Amino acid sequence: MQHGFYFDHKRCVKCHACEIACKTWNEVDVGPRWREVVKIETGTFPNVKAMNVSMACMHCGDAPCKSACPVTAITKRADDGIVVVDQNKCIGCGFCAWACPFNAPQLSAAAGKMEKCNFCQTPGKERPIDMPRACEEICPTGAIQSGSMAKLANQGREKAAQRLSGADMRGFPSLMVGAHQEFGPGGDD
Amino acid sequence: MNEMSKDLGTKLAEIKGAEVIKSFCYTCPWQCPTEVFVRDGRIVYQKGNPESPNNIGARCAKGMASWYVSQDPDRLTHPLLRTNPKGERGEFKQISWDEAFQFIADKLKHIADEWGPEAVALTCHHDPNTVFYHHLLKDLYGSPNMYAHTSGCEQDRRSACLTLFGHVFPMHDFANSKYVMLWGMNNLGANQGLWESRDLIEAQSKGCRLVVVDPSFTETAQKADEWVPIRPGTDGAMALAMCRVIIDDKLYDEEFVTKYCEGFNGFRDHLHEKGYTPAWAEEICGIEAETIARLAREFATSKPAMSAIFKGSGYYTNGHDAGRACYILDAICGEVDKPGNINLKDWAPLGSPVEIPEDAMSTLKKDPLHVAMGYPLAPDLPNSKLPDAVIKGDPYPVKGLFVHSTNPVMSDPNKDRVLEMFRHLELAVSCELYMSETSLECDIVLPETSFHEQAEIRQGMWLGPEVILCQPVVDRVGESKPPYEIVKGIAEKMGWGEHFPYEKWEDWGEVAMKDVPMSLDELKQQGFWAGPIEYNRVPKGLPTPSGKIEIYSTDYEKAGFNPYPDFVERSVIPDDEYPLQVTHSKLSMHCNIVTQNNPLLMEVCGENWVEINSADAAKYGIVDDSYVVVESPKDNITILAKVVEGLVPGCVSIRHGHGFGHWAMGSTAKGKGAHSNNLMDTHTNPVTGANCYNECKVRIRPAG
Repeated sequence: MQHGFYFDHKRCVKCHACEIACKTWNEVDVGPRWREVVKIETGTFPNVKAMNVSMACMHCGDAPCKSACPVTAITKRADDGIVVVDQNKCIGCGFCAWACPFNAPQLSAAAGKMEKCNFCQTPGKERPIDMPRACEEICPTGAIQSGSMAKLANQGREKAAQRLSGADMRGFPSLMVGAHQEFGPGGDD
Repeated sequence: MNEMSKDLGTKLAEIKGAEVIKSFCYTCPWQCPTEVFVRDGRIVYQKGNPESPNNIGARCAKGMASWYVSQDPDRLTHPLLRTNPKGERGEFKQISWDEAFQFIADKLKHIADEWGPEAVALTCHHDPNTVFYHHLLKDLYGSPNMYAHTSGCEQDRRSACLTLFGHVFPMHDFANSKYVMLWGMNNLGANQGLWESRDLIEAQSKGCRLVVVDPSFTETAQKADEWVPIRPGTDGAMALAMCRVIIDDKLYDEEFVTKYCEGFNGFRDHLHEKGYTPAWAEEICGIEAETIARLAREFATSKPAMSAIFKGSGYYTNGHDAGRACYILDAICGEVDKPGNINLKDWAPLGSPVEIPEDAMSTLKKDPLHVAMGYPLAPDLPNSKLPDAVIKGDPYPVKGLFVHSTNPVMSDPNKDRVLEMFRHLELAVSCELYMSETSLECDIVLPETSFHEQAEIRQGMWLGPEVILCQPVVDRVGESKPPYEIVKGIAEKMGWGEHFPYEKWEDWGEVAMKDVPMSLDELKQQGFWAGPIEYNRVPKGLPTPSGKIEIYSTDYEKAGFNPYPDFVERSVIPDDEYPLQVTHSKLSMHCNIVTQNNPLLMEVCGENWVEINSADAAKYGIVDDSYVVVESPKDNITILAKVVEGLVPGCVSIRHGHGFGHWAMGSTAKGKGAHSNNLMDTHTNPVTGANCYNECKVRIRPAG
């Protein structure tokens, strides 16, 4: 069953705790950023709007990074759909980073290898799949949730979630953003 | 408490192969209770203490990254004594603790003999362990001048709360509110009480309306249903005009103001006499009169409601009355200390860890500095007046200064003047983790343990009464010592060692906990003690002179100020030469001046910047993401500029102005970003003694 994240931008206050929790739990050095919170501002004074999005690997149904990898270092796990990188196979060519539309793969300058969000499955520190991810556990406002896409969709919080879950996941990123009508063009999901 | 989340910590610790120790985080003053994961003597993870109502498992970026402090190679490891004259960049030699204690004791005796004990002052961040210094320097040595850092912080708010409600630090019961109006308060974006952040977001999801009055489109304004882009330093005018509408429309709570407020009728007449109307305020605030009137009616007819401030309405010479006016909105609508209002929280029955017997106590011979300086209502030292005492002996000489966990050389306005002050001191002692900019100016620098290496027991920053415990989780860095041991060492050299008899922290911990209905052992297991949340304390009487909410302030009258809040313009108004007003806002991933040496936080935000509205940017040729020179009549800085829509034209917003641009502290921090405090001249709030960081006008041009 495909697992992924649900992200509620209305709750995110851009505190960046998720980034540091991710880094600390998975023992990631300064440099690669497996998760990053970005802010998008629109409008003109005084009618301004802003939206924060906490972005990590989308664990896509049809992961372009996996197709781009020349050494089959990237695989999609059968049971939970998590996209993982085998650091022993990775040659650090960066094709995955070019292929990914979300800038998820991060090249570690120190190791010369690609790394990215692995849904807290870092060897030796694997969080069982039914536990909250580090980013999710730490979030002060409950903006991030993880779980099976079916479960996230069943919460019925957003039409977007329903729509995405109804598809066969191929090509869809495993992230649901709780977008809202009032936020500019394209946000009406 | 959630059983599953309680269990989570144990499971996660198993995965990490770590031991879990209950503690709290002291990176920022909100001090969230934590679970610290320790493996092989190192912190490997931290999470919020899920049983604590204070943060229910969550952490912020600063707290998550705070393990780095316990391993930072830039930490001070030994006591250091200055070897070159004041006025030059400090050079130091390593000395023993015994030599350090003797040096300080000799100087303290000399100062007491020559100028009296009141010539020694202490300034600190709010740290419960500072109480040990108080026992030494106040109770035994006899100086009344034990101060903190509030004049650089929420001094105006604190003063307003004390005057109106007799409470020093009300909390916010966002969870039960239906209408929240925040004035210059960016609680979602600055240092965060995590439970407050969550409560506010939860309340909004249940239909609470959030209105943010702020010149800047802050992280909190971003979440608001309505952003009111007010001109800087005019909050008081808008709040007074709102009061007028509520009173004229008879939307106030008649029973509440009659029974529980002092001076309501006089206040009504005062508003009329002064002509404080929405039309009058429109001119001043740049907000349409209809909007002001509508917001007033919305506020008065939404229940429960809350009008709250933190720092932003202060930082001006009119900040004291702005704060009072914003809280009078709560008072006249009967919205004080009920569910969904500001909450006059109870404090836990935590005692002092050291008990000095009466006959050993020194008698205080002089008024404390703030009173002698002419600021009897100041809740903390007017920092900006301290240089006068040190340099000119006005109102009386100050010759010795202890600086504990604070960095006034960077945090106070007018750096030049603060530097000059340090050069005039007979004894400047820095108790610090790093060779900070202030340490560099001191005679002696004492390495303290960080909160990961020492114990503290203190009041929790939550709605109900709460005691929180921080315990040593890792070994000390170098020869660093916790405050208790430093104070004990100095006391022994002064002949007062008997009053500091404890061998280990648990000994004084037991003493501090004796009135708390929980043993120290239980506290070590649980990490906190929490009592019930209380409401409706107003009818029981408040600790104000009248026992009521003082719209008419007896304290103000006694001190010779107008008992009712007025609006007067701020002191520094932009002109043709310097056309832009300076404002400030903070950043969520940095706290004050302490986090800039943390590489994890610097990766998220490695420099500060100035924000400017696109219309002003076009006028002055400023391009987004480029470096600019910001110039005041006093100094100039080069800083990154961000061109934004979310800022009132005619001002700039310097984000985290005094936290960046370190020139002494830390290999990561040094040279990153720009330190803006020397742009400001010295301006002091006439009532509260607060530093007025926003009383500054500038011009701006592209750099290079």
